Amino acid sequence: MAIILYNHDLLADAYKVRLLLSLLGMDFERRTVGILPGKGNDAPHYREINPAGTVPMLVEGDIVLTRPEAMLVHIAERHDKGGRWLPADPVARAHVFEWLAFAAGELTATEAARLQAMFGLAPSFADAFAVARTAFRLIEGHLVRRSLDGLTFIAADYPTIADIAIFPAVALAADIGIGMEEFPRLLIWARQIHALPGFVTMPGVREVI
Amino acid sequence: MTMTKDMAALNDWYVVGISADVRPAAPRCTRLLGQDILVTRKDDGTVAVTLEGGDEDGRAARAEEHYGFIWTTFGAPNRGIFPLAEAFEPDRRVVTCGTVDVGASGLRLVENFLDMAHFPFVHTDILGALDKPEVEQYQAEIRADVDEVWATNCRFWQPLAAAASKGGQMSHYVYRVVTPFNVLLYKTCPEAPDRFDVIALFSQPVEADRSIAYPLMVVVDSISTDEDIVMFQQKIFLQDRIILENQRPRTLPLDPRAEIPTRADLSSVAYRRWLKTKALRYGSYEYEEA
Ligand SMILES: [Fe+2]
Repeated sequence: MAIILYNHDLLADAYKVRLLLSLLGMDFERRTVGILPGKGNDAPHYREINPAGTVPMLVEGDIVLTRPEAMLVHIAERHDKGGRWLPADPVARAHVFEWLAFAAGELTATEAARLQAMFGLAPSFADAFAVARTAFRLIEGHLVRRSLDGLTFIAADYPTIADIAIFPAVALAADIGIGMEEFPRLLIWARQIHALPGFVTMPGVREVI
Repeated sequence: MTMTKDMAALNDWYVVGISADVRPAAPRCTRLLGQDILVTRKDDGTVAVTLEGGDEDGRAARAEEHYGFIWTTFGAPNRGIFPLAEAFEPDRRVVTCGTVDVGASGLRLVENFLDMAHFPFVHTDILGALDKPEVEQYQAEIRADVDEVWATNCRFWQPLAAAASKGGQMSHYVYRVVTPFNVLLYKTCPEAPDRFDVIALFSQPVEADRSIAYPLMVVVDSISTDEDIVMFQQKIFLQDRIILENQRPRTLPLDPRAEIPTRADLSSVAYRRWLKTKALRYGSYEYEEA
């Protein structure tokens, strides 16, 4: 059963799903939803399967997913034969879920700030830039503590979907005027993600950092 | 924020919205040259631009529609909107590509648009290749008869020149700056190599160092969907946006000593010289709010 990703190349949420699929070396069908500009997500056939009208949307057989972190869990669980991207080990797994919730929570302020800065879209945060900066500080602090134990990645001693869920926001920080010089650990971590086999970029993510 | 007093800036035409987006039930609040404005469409289909706040609160500004956009002016331009014959060819697709907000002067946007040297580094594997970074000799001139800046005989090797491209091509470019804030280019069309696709970048100077960019594609392309064409252009412009957001100053220095020109900068040098002859200051580093 092939994966169909209802995609938009400029969205961080769609990028994290494309990135995981690429890191796993998976083929998938991508269908562009005409937004930014456009209201392709308001089309009746789209709302019928996805009443919230969110982009991206992943369809695989009977499974329809509209939340990017759920897509990462699903892809890892079903298609990662090595079982590393979503570890079975209870400690690493718990940390993955912790950071997925973070990615789906306050870290979404970075994308809200980005869409506001680039396309003038009204954010759902009172001050999306401030929330984004605080979220970056939290990740930086976490990575600093991990580094004291000799660890580089977010939830395990190797990359997991927690890293993939967080990476786009960090890689696109320049779009909202946040410089990496404030966050040296984040930069080191981002370089490790760049170095993974199968890594791909999106507009706004530099080829080389 | 108040309207600029720069007469050269006031006496010109600017895009302030996409025609299709402004409907009777969907007016547009925006800002031009520091002045808040309201762009509306009446039930008879015509558009209106009204100044909001400031010394001339409520004044109607001239409004016209061309090439899929709403244009306005606060002053008295000595010419109409520039001609663009290709837009009227029956087999052309005229596709507006949305808007992008940029924290840089509109003059910076035009200067970046004129620059070929950045293709391999900023638009890697699309508009340029890292192993073919050379900008060949070309000509740039101020055409006094039409009061425009042209750069001709530009050639650049491009891995993926357009949405419809099947492979690399040696693209021929002609650049045309029609007003200080509006620029277009003609480039080899992958589908019809004897014709030129037209790509325009219109910028709305919101403030001296902030802009709204409106890319426009006027292309011969029987394959791509509108979404494909828009996506191709949006991706490229967002790559440019990173560069534009990081340039300092955010305004354009007109003093030729401020930045050292290279051979590739001929068009930029002609453009700056032209801005100086027009006495345009808005959006330049030398501009000061009166
Ligand atoms: Fe560019």
